[in-house]
This record gives sequence, structure tokens and C-alpha cells, in this order.
Amino acid sequence: MTDPGLGESVRLLSVAPSPAFWVAAVAYGAASFALLAVLGGQQRLRGLAIGLVTVALIAHGVDIGWRGTQHVHPAQSVREAIGFLSFIVTGGYLLASTRYRLTLGGVVVMPVSLVLLLAARLSPAGTAPEELSGLGRIHISLATVGVGIFALASALSAIYLVEERALKRKKFDALAFKNKGAPLEALDRLSHRLIWVGFPIFTIALVLGAVWVSKLGASLDRPEYPLAIVTWLAYAGLLVARQAYGWRGRRAAKTTMVGFVAALAVLAIYLVRRMVGG
Amino acid sequence: MSELFVVGISWRTAPVAVREKLAFREEELQSTLRAMTAQLPVAEAVLISTCNRVEVYGVSKPGQDATGPVRRFLAEQRGLAPADVADVIYDHSGPAAIRHVFRVASALDSLVLGEAQILGQLKDAYGLSGGAGTCGAVLGRCLERAFGVAKRVRTETTIARGAANVSTVAVDLAARVFGDLRGKSVLVVGAGKMSTLAARHLRAQGATHIVVTNRSPEKAERLAAEIDGIAKPWDGLPQLLAEADVVISSTGAREPILTRALFKKVTKARRWRPIVVIDIAVPRDAEPALNDFDGVFLYDIDDLEKVVAANLAERAKAAEQAHKIVEHEATQFEQWMRSQGVVPTIRALRERFAQVADAELQKTLEHLARREHTPAQQREAIQRLVQLVVNKLLHQPTMALREAPPEEAALRAEILCELFALEPAAHGSRDSLTAIAEAPAAPSEPTESTDSPGDVPQAPERKAAT
Repeated sequence: MTDPGLGESVRLLSVAPSPAFWVAAVAYGAASFALLAVLGGQQRLRGLAIGLVTVALIAHGVDIGWRGTQHVHPAQSVREAIGFLSFIVTGGYLLASTRYRLTLGGVVVMPVSLVLLLAARLSPAGTAPEELSGLGRIHISLATVGVGIFALASALSAIYLVEERALKRKKFDALAFKNKGAPLEALDRLSHRLIWVGFPIFTIALVLGAVWVSKLGASLDRPEYPLAIVTWLAYAGLLVARQAYGWRGRRAAKTTMVGFVAALAVLAIYLVRRMVGG
Repeated sequence: MSELFVVGISWRTAPVAVREKLAFREEELQSTLRAMTAQLPVAEAVLISTCNRVEVYGVSKPGQDATGPVRRFLAEQRGLAPADVADVIYDHSGPAAIRHVFRVASALDSLVLGEAQILGQLKDAYGLSGGAGTCGAVLGRCLERAFGVAKRVRTETTIARGAANVSTVAVDLAARVFGDLRGKSVLVVGAGKMSTLAARHLRAQGATHIVVTNRSPEKAERLAAEIDGIAKPWDGLPQLLAEADVVISSTGAREPILTRALFKKVTKARRWRPIVVIDIAVPRDAEPALNDFDGVFLYDIDDLEKVVAANLAERAKAAEQAHKIVEHEATQFEQWMRSQGVVPTIRALRERFAQVADAELQKTLEHLARREHTPAQQREAIQRLVQLVVNKLLHQPTMALREAPPEEAALRAEILCELFALEPAAHGSRDSLTAIAEAPAAPSEPTESTDSPGDVPQAPERKAAT
């Protein structure tokens, strides 16, 4: 996530949100509440909740497509990339929920998707970057996909930690237990596999970013660069430790989340810099 | 009218010491049922005898009380003085009996709410009574309905959800960690009865590999043979722990066997793969600190009992909803019972009418077949036929109305009006009633006259009477 070209140029490159955006936003909100109700024991709302997630995903996709027709590419700026990230996360959640009961996960993921989408569309566009090079676009696209996959892995890790805690503390009447969520082993395994997929993508994005920065001749002392390295190290270390020493469970879940938080911090720095026009 | 009744004892009213005295062996059931229907005012009977209840469901003979005689019968059959068990035997009749049967079938009256066994036991008892020929239409219908109610309760409420005993809770917990138990391996440490049960449950859920270890190799071999597992020597315990996914421990050791020091090595050897340790021994086999290891999930007997208690509390909540279903179904069944009361009357009435009509029709047809008739003669014959049938049918009620004692006459007239939707005008109705009443003064005569040839087209005075 390194594009020093951002903020240099003064060409506005954003459009007002489409009607599909509002549909998506409302559907995300409604889905969050529906999933919360399912978690609270209203099992018959499950179908409705999944339906709402689907509606949100479709509307979100339409919105991204519409912006494409207005020449606003998902990988054009961090702002757009965040909107795309939210789309990937929702899609991944929907895919995973066809196999496991991830109600608790949905209660975490849906509001996150909503906030990301709102941040992407409603934050001040500020000054848009100059026309991006092909390298920059590939960097942003890959980084977005990589972070999206890490976001899903982190959501699963979060569920793992909540459920593991309930099982360890013998809180059997806890919501997670009663609703018979996904088994711990499956959460752990799925999260690990996602990192296996996300890590190479993120690595390539990082390398391309570094090449891009050096091509532009910009300085390498911005705070987001070490943060991005933290993310990379967290996942690299996790994969190695699991392979070599069988690291898993609680420690793996926590490391996964640390890596994702660092990636989020990078995104936040970009976004804030854009808003203040720095 | 005959009535449904229940007479019996259950865990609610009597301790096992009393229940066992009144219990019947399976081979005694049919002869007991036959004796009951032969000797007592009992028309239909089903007898169920389980460890938690001995109950007779029956239908009394019309107008007779069966509960008293059945109470005495049950006691005497077992050589007890009826007075000695009078306090623990209960009985219900009519609506209360229906509700009781429905509740029993739905496991709402069971010691463990919502348990699945009672329904099967009830079905067996029903089958046995069918074999003995003591289960009739009313009781049969009642039990069939009870099975339907039980199904509704199981599917529409959560009463049968959540493990209700310690060994199934162990399976549930393992499933929370592993999900599918297929391909998982189980290690049984020690040879308690509970661990045997839990191991069986785990195998039923798909656990493939069951290893048994014990300080005494013979005991290990015996248990392994019993649950289809493999016995391994006690010395290899650390290695066995490293290979197992679920450990069930129930040794008689005074000191913990599954210690923190041991598990420090074991978890490392397992590469922190998750392991569920179920410790059902008292004193405990596992040090509580094991639970602190990443990936080790330790549960002792208290934890399991707590889950059972929580699940049973959930079942009790569901029972309230189940009671509503029972109430609704029982009300419907009562309506059916009531309608059954008039069914024989309706059937007799229809048969009687059909008989009269058939007899007259037959005579007329025979008459018409004897020789050629002009169309006018034929019409005449049909008119006569209808006339005769009406007269014959009305003869009996008319007489009953006329000869009724004065205090009942008005009531009978009123009932008739209601049954036939009559609206008698002040005078007119009386007249027409009298007119009809007059007609069949000699109801059998016209039929005889039709037999005499040549008399067919006549019967003018009958015609005039209408």
C-alpha cells in the first residue's frame, strides 16, 4: 500500500454515490440487525439475514460497476479500494456461510463492511491522485484483495477466540455455544488456509509498491511503510511457525488479528491523509 | 356412556421400591389384559410397565365405573392389599385421562423431560394389547393420536434438544471443538461404566479409533473387547495422549494422573492440536491447570452435570409450549369422543330407514314384474310405494308422541320440530300431525293388500289421507 503519488495532483476523480450504494448501505445495516436477532435465538430470521447479505452484496457490486462506467476504477485510489475491500469481505463471508453457521461472524463482518463502505463513499474525496501508472493500479488491486482475505481470516480468528473462551470458561449458556456455531478446528483451519492464499498476493503487492515508490523517487520514511512490513511479518511468521512448530489455536488467532490491525492502520493513514489533503 | 380412564403409578407418586412390586414382566402383559377385560367392567385396555411407570389405559363398559375395580385388580394381581397401595395409585377419567395419555407419550410426564424412550415403550404396549385383542376403536384412536401429539411436541418445541445425560454431553463438547467426529480417535483411561457409555456414544458419532488403557492389562483387554477398541499398555500413556483427540478418564487413582508436567510434553508432541479431556473420575484424574494449555479443553464431572442441568432447564421451558399443544389436541380429541356417542344412533336410524324403504321397494318391484302395467298403473304403484314408506317410518314416532306422558309430550314435540326444522303454525301444525298420525293406524295392512292381485291401482282412501 505505497503510492506516494497520492495527493500530488489536483484532479478530482470521484462521483456522487449511486442509488445502488444506498440500497447496499441499508441492506448491510438491516443484515447486521437480522444476524444479531438470529444470534439472540430468532432462528427463523436466518434465511432473511442471509437474503439481506446477498442483496447488500449485489447492490454493492452494482455500485462498483456503475462507478466503473463513470471512470472511477476500484483500484484508482485508496478511497475506492476500501469500498472494494468491503465488497470482497462480504462476498467471502457469504461464501463461507454456505458451509458453516457463521452467525457470530456475520454480526462482526456486516457492520465492518458497512463502515468501510460508508468511509469509502461518504468521506470527503479531497484531492484525487494524478493518473495512476499501471504499476500503481496493480499494486492497489492486489493489496486490496490481500487485505480483504486477511480481513476474513481475522474475522474467523475473532470468532475462534470468542468461542474458545466460552469453551474454556465453561460458559455453555453463552450465545455462541447455544447457537452451535462452527467448530473450533474448522475455524482454525479455514483461517489458516485463507492466509495461505492471501499471503502471496499481499507479498507481490508489497514488492510492486516498493518498486513503484522507488521509481517515483519518493522517500521511504512514511509511517505506513513499517506498518505494512508488520503485517507481512505477522503472516510470514505465522505460516512458518505453523509449518515448523505446529502453531495454531489461540496464538495463531491473535497473530492473525495483529497482522490485520496493522493493515487497517495503513489504510486509515492513507484515508486520513487524503481527507486532510496531505 | 363408556369413558376413557387411566389407573397407575409412576415415579411421581411412588419410589422404585413400590414401583417394582407393581411392575409386570413382558410375558405377563397379555394374560393380564385379557383377565382385566374378562373380569372387570373394562371394554378396552392397554397396559404399560416400564421402570418409571405401571399404567393401565382403558375404556370402561357403558355406564360403569372401571377405575375402582382396576385399582383393586392391579394390587391383587401382585399379591398386595389394595389399601396398602391406595395412596400411590392414581386414576384419571374422561378429559383428564386423555391429557394424561398425551402427556406420557410426549415425555412430559417423564423423569427426564423430553426423553425418547417412552414413545417406543408406549408403541410396544399398544402392539401387545392389539395382540391380546383388548385394544378397541376408542383407545386405539386415542393412542394413535397420542403418538401424533408426541411427534408434534418433538418437532415443534425444543424439548428434545440438548444432551440430557453426562455421556452425551461429552459427545456434544467434543463436537464443539472438532465438529465432525469422523476419523477422530478416543482414548479411554481407566474402566469406569460412564467412560464405556461415552466411548460408545463417540463411536456412534463416527469416532473410528478407540484405545483403552488401564493399570491392569486384563481389565483393559476386557473393556476393549466390550466396546470394540484396542487395549494398549499403561506405560505408553504419554504417547497415547499425544495421539488421541478425545480422552475419557475414569480411574480409581487417588492422585491425578493427567498432570501439568505430563501435558506440557504432550501438547508439544501434539504440536498443539486441540484435545478434549473428559474427566469423570472422583477424585479427579486431571489437574485443573490442564485447561490453561492452548488447545486443551478439560471438563470434569461437575462441568458435565452443569450442562445437563442447563439443558434440562431449557427443556422445562419448552415444556410449557408442549403443554399448550397437548391441551389443544386433547380438546379436539374430546370433540371426537363426543361425536362418537351419537354415531351408533345415527347408524341405527339410517339402517332402519333403509330397511323399511328396501322392503317396500322390493314388494312393489315384484308386483310390477308379475304382469304388464299401463303407465297410469305404474305411476299409481310408485305413489303408493312412497306413501307406504312415509307412513311406516312415521308410525313409531307418531305413536311415541301421542302416547307420551303429558309432562314429556311438549318436550318431545319440541325436539321433533328442531330435528326436522318444522315451524308448526298454531293450528295447522296440530292438524297435519294428526293427519299423519291417523294414516298408519294399521301400517302393515297396505303391504299385504299389494300382494293380492288386481288390487294394485286402488288404495284410494290412503291417498285421501295425505
